[in-house]
Amino acid sequence: MIRFVVRRLLSSIPVLLGVVLLVFILARVIPGDPCRAALGERATDAVCNDFEARYGLDQPLPVQFGIYMVKLAGGDLGSSIRFGRPVADILAERLPLTIELTLFALTFATFFGVILGIVSALRRNSPTDVGTMIVANLGVSTPVFVLGLLLAIVFSNWLQDTPLRMPPSGRLTAGLSVVPLATAWGLKELHGPLRGLLDFASNMYLFNTLVTGQWNVFWDAVRHLILPAVAVGTIPLAIIARMTRSSLLEVLGLDYIRTARAKGLRERLVVVRHGLRNAMLPVVTVIGLSLGALLSGAVLTESIFNLAGIGRTIVEAITGRDYIVIQGVTIVIAIGYLLVNLIVDVSYAFLDPRIRLS
Amino acid sequence: MSRSRRWSLLALFATVAIVGSACTPGATTSSPSSPGASQASQPPASQEPFDGTAYPESGEAPCGQAEAPTGFGKYTGNFKKITAQDARTVVFELCNPDVAFLSKIAFTSFAINDTGWLESKIDPNKTENQDIVTQVNGTGPYKIKTWDRGSQIVLEANPNYWGDAPKAQTLVIRWGTEPAQRLTELVAGTVDGIDNVAPEDFATVEGNADLQLKPRQGLNVMYFGMNNHPTVPGFDNSKNPFANEKVRQAIAMGIDRQRITDQFNPPGSEVATHFTPCSIPNGCAGDPWYEFDAAAAKQLLAEAGYPNGFTTTISYRNVTRGYVSNPVGVVQDLQQQLKNNLNITATLDEQESTTFIDNSDAGRLTGLYLLGWGADYPDVTNFLDFHFGTGATAQFGDKFDDITSALTEGAGGSDDASRKPAYERANNAIKQHVPMIPIVHAGSGVAYRADVQDAHASPLGNEAFSVMTPGDRNQFVWMQGAEPGGLYCADESDGESLRVCEQMTEALYSYEIGGTAAVPALAEKCEPNTELTVWTCTLREATFHDGSKLDANDVVLSYAVQWDAKHELHKGRDGSFSYFPGLFGGFLNPPAPEPEG
Amino acid sequence: MTVTAEPLPELAAETLVRARPANLWRDTLANVLRQRSAAVGLAILTALFLVAIFADFIAPYPPTLSMLDLPVPEKVNRQDPASLRPCIHLLGCPASRPQHLFGLDGNLRDEFSRVVHGSRVSLQIGFLTVGFAIVLGTLIGAIAGYAGGWVDNLLMRLMDILLSFPSLLLAIAIVTVLGSSLLNAQLAIGIVAIPIYARVMRASVLATREADYIAASRALGESSVGVLFRRILPNSLTPLIVQGTLGIGGAILEVAALSFIGLGASREVAEWGGMIALDRNLINPAPHLLLFPGLAITLTVLGFNLLGDGLRDALDPRLNR
Repeated sequence: MIRFVVRRLLSSIPVLLGVVLLVFILARVIPGDPCRAALGERATDAVCNDFEARYGLDQPLPVQFGIYMVKLAGGDLGSSIRFGRPVADILAERLPLTIELTLFALTFATFFGVILGIVSALRRNSPTDVGTMIVANLGVSTPVFVLGLLLAIVFSNWLQDTPLRMPPSGRLTAGLSVVPLATAWGLKELHGPLRGLLDFASNMYLFNTLVTGQWNVFWDAVRHLILPAVAVGTIPLAIIARMTRSSLLEVLGLDYIRTARAKGLRERLVVVRHGLRNAMLPVVTVIGLSLGALLSGAVLTESIFNLAGIGRTIVEAITGRDYIVIQGVTIVIAIGYLLVNLIVDVSYAFLDPRIRLS
Repeated sequence: MSRSRRWSLLALFATVAIVGSACTPGATTSSPSSPGASQASQPPASQEPFDGTAYPESGEAPCGQAEAPTGFGKYTGNFKKITAQDARTVVFELCNPDVAFLSKIAFTSFAINDTGWLESKIDPNKTENQDIVTQVNGTGPYKIKTWDRGSQIVLEANPNYWGDAPKAQTLVIRWGTEPAQRLTELVAGTVDGIDNVAPEDFATVEGNADLQLKPRQGLNVMYFGMNNHPTVPGFDNSKNPFANEKVRQAIAMGIDRQRITDQFNPPGSEVATHFTPCSIPNGCAGDPWYEFDAAAAKQLLAEAGYPNGFTTTISYRNVTRGYVSNPVGVVQDLQQQLKNNLNITATLDEQESTTFIDNSDAGRLTGLYLLGWGADYPDVTNFLDFHFGTGATAQFGDKFDDITSALTEGAGGSDDASRKPAYERANNAIKQHVPMIPIVHAGSGVAYRADVQDAHASPLGNEAFSVMTPGDRNQFVWMQGAEPGGLYCADESDGESLRVCEQMTEALYSYEIGGTAAVPALAEKCEPNTELTVWTCTLREATFHDGSKLDANDVVLSYAVQWDAKHELHKGRDGSFSYFPGLFGGFLNPPAPEPEG
Repeated sequence: MTVTAEPLPELAAETLVRARPANLWRDTLANVLRQRSAAVGLAILTALFLVAIFADFIAPYPPTLSMLDLPVPEKVNRQDPASLRPCIHLLGCPASRPQHLFGLDGNLRDEFSRVVHGSRVSLQIGFLTVGFAIVLGTLIGAIAGYAGGWVDNLLMRLMDILLSFPSLLLAIAIVTVLGSSLLNAQLAIGIVAIPIYARVMRASVLATREADYIAASRALGESSVGVLFRRILPNSLTPLIVQGTLGIGGAILEVAALSFIGLGASREVAEWGGMIALDRNLINPAPHLLLFPGLAITLTVLGFNLLGDGLRDALDPRLNR
């Protein structure tokens, strides 16, 4: 197992180098003028020349790439051209939201997807099954942005006077703030990477408010996450439901289940103890693969629900020609994405020992 | 820093450091780069004699410099010297008369900062992202509490404000790019006021008893530009239809501007009779624009040698601005009208925003193009000189002597009445030469919850939230289009930042609430000499958020760090300080222009 | 974007290449039709194709015509919500007003005509995008699988690099580089999809490479290229078709998403995602302008997904249930 993991990690290195090169090239060939994007349309040529010299944008591209690689190797992602702030700071602010949204949506999708899948499989061809599968099929076919736009206006405006009322956008109700963990725990003097980690965790509002017991803020944050999570999680939910159903149906038709039934075990026990566990294998894969869809969906959802997450950061960086941010953020996402895929592979192998780790 | 300037800077630092330390004890120790600082850390004396500074410390700025000194660019600015005569009096000496001086110093970028704050929150050794960008120490009705990046900025009432205490204890600024999204928030009751209601939603807001709409007058202009002599290499200008004045006049007559105004702009927008809006003094001097007359236009086009029309392009960028909320709709309509009325076949050419601006400034757009302008300060020079004056870009091609000479004369006048004849000539010449076709002064709208009292909209986009009472709540939530880039507004240029600064900081003058007239703020008054070249300002008693007292040296330094490009503290979020040269002509010690390239 | 997540075709490949009855296509169709959902999918798509083919006859107005430019312009104003609402004479809309089944869009064009014409655009998007990805992906996968060794390694690592980004993000970056247009959006989505087909193809090639009839062809002296294109490729078509059908739905969704962000179809083109983007700020006065194109996307994608699922089940006897 360890050998497999190490080998997978090693084989990721050339991929990662390719990713860095690709991102660098893509970022540089985007047409447009980073200076005027950053300083405004009325910036003069003199100001812009100075600006470009400051960010090394006047150097030849290979030189720029070399400088960037050296910095990157030292863990320095550079500073935003537009905001003059370190990319690492921007990541620490923005990435936690996307992680939180993605995990929240994934939990939602998995929980309801699996339940719907089981119910469908057990009541095969019943109206419940047909209904669920119709909804699931519609779910995978609905654009995230249409769903998001409609959810926002329906639950915040049209259902305003009902208990289903939800906040239309944002992370918290205006005026509410979370207390950074460093402040809450009296660690304000802490510096260095540990502090960075702490600030990163602070910006996961659910986690932060949970461990510090700020219940009203926690509940507020949850309420703000529900609609975006539904919007971004519907497609994975539908896929998971369909996969659970078909996989469970397949397993339930196998010999050992028949044996278990023949032994007189109660149906529910058969399904849960014998069927479900074995049916989960493809479902785990689908859950893992859904992460890509979730992140893609997050780009749209974050803009519709006005959430300052990493997806929106990238889109804004692209429109603002903020090369350094585009590079830094994309590379971090690619690394995270590779890691998740590795975890999926490993857990797949873990669940099914028959799979050869090759 | 150049050697020739260093001595004066050192001297300046020695003096301002003394004043700074008197205001904020200990502040000086954090700026080791000011050599005079350490001797000045004695405790503040109650009746310390005022040691007034000046900038430049001795001598004056080289007005109308003919030759650029080595290593620098030519000085093109209009400031000659700023002097703190005594603790309450500041004197601005200008190179040339400036009738719009009060309008300019009222601009948010020229807010006054405390000397100690500037020295401690700007690190001369750091190029950008200074502490002062996020830490604000103004004199205004609100002070900053937290800035949750990406989500909100929370401000709280300043208990020591010299003016009327703010009505709401807390002011929260939020942002969202889509107008409909902002309205959704307002309807949901999660915010109290929103910026820029979509034109299509004016009816929605008016039909909702829980909301109120405040139309915002349009201090802007949207126009269709044409270039009479593009700078594209190899371009044959003899085949350029826009080089022919009759063609430009024909198009000016052949477009139904009322239709564009009605369809794509909210109620309150006005068809442009002149390039400058009428609410700006002398904006509408001279004859109004051509009436729409398709038949006459067609005939004129035939006279010009294009009886069957011609083909061209319409360049634009798909970016919403105060003057255009639906650029795609507008250019599509223009395309149709050109075809229907003049048989001109135009293809649409959407360009990336900054590329588009670069191309237009450099005169590389060969067809028609959609662009506009929003007022920085309410004076006709901000509109006409920027576009048609001697210093304007090549966006319309070759300049017209009768326009430029009229503008130069108008800018030198000392009051509105005496400037009027010049602007009549300028506007009539613009109408005759048609460098562009002004279409609309676009209105926009701000919406509030119905229970917000004293809600208003400002034509300059700087609503004063401190005077608004949000029903029975003690928190006012405002939602605008975007997050501020930074809150050191000397170094900011977008309206979203400026509006937030405006709640916390103050300049010597400010614009009247909901209007454009310059009214005293931190200055009780500023009075010019008869030539309008020397302005003497008397300061009021005011306290910064951190408890420091305002004095004349704060004013001198607040301007000096913007004015002098080589000043140690000429740094902020990115150090561009784009409004200073825009309004006052240029930096002191400007960087030398790059050799061609 | 997500329908491709199901890892079935690789498994299917192996089973399918064995037996090739002459009437495979007829059998497949019969199998597909036997499944209710697939039949529904086929019906939706048939209707969609008909609408696309006869769009000019079905749509009462050209998709880009503003009502202001009619010889006798209607009295409409885009800032008056009443102008945008659907007007259906059968449902009591006064005959004095011209009929607009889905109302008018934000630029005063007939929304129904635009939705109808949008079917053409979407079908073209789906087939071109996936076709592009299949051609390149198949080529890459075939070469990698057949050549093996460092060629295989290099090509598949390149595919891994493409797969290291959430697909939409990479597509956004590519379109930004190329400039926003419908064609570039399709190209971007196509590029992003290449690895899927490359992997499917490579798996097929690896599965068939050692089969007896391939060995026979080789023994008979057929060239490598000949073996690859005349023997192996035809036998790998089935999983590609299944994957491709499912991919069309995903491609339509992703191109619509790009258009929504403003990186796809130009604003004149009646592309459903772009229509929603253009009118998203009309959600208060005219929510139907989001609903109708949104439903059109959903139906179309649903059709391809249902058919794709049906094809997969029909072509892979092992999965029959």
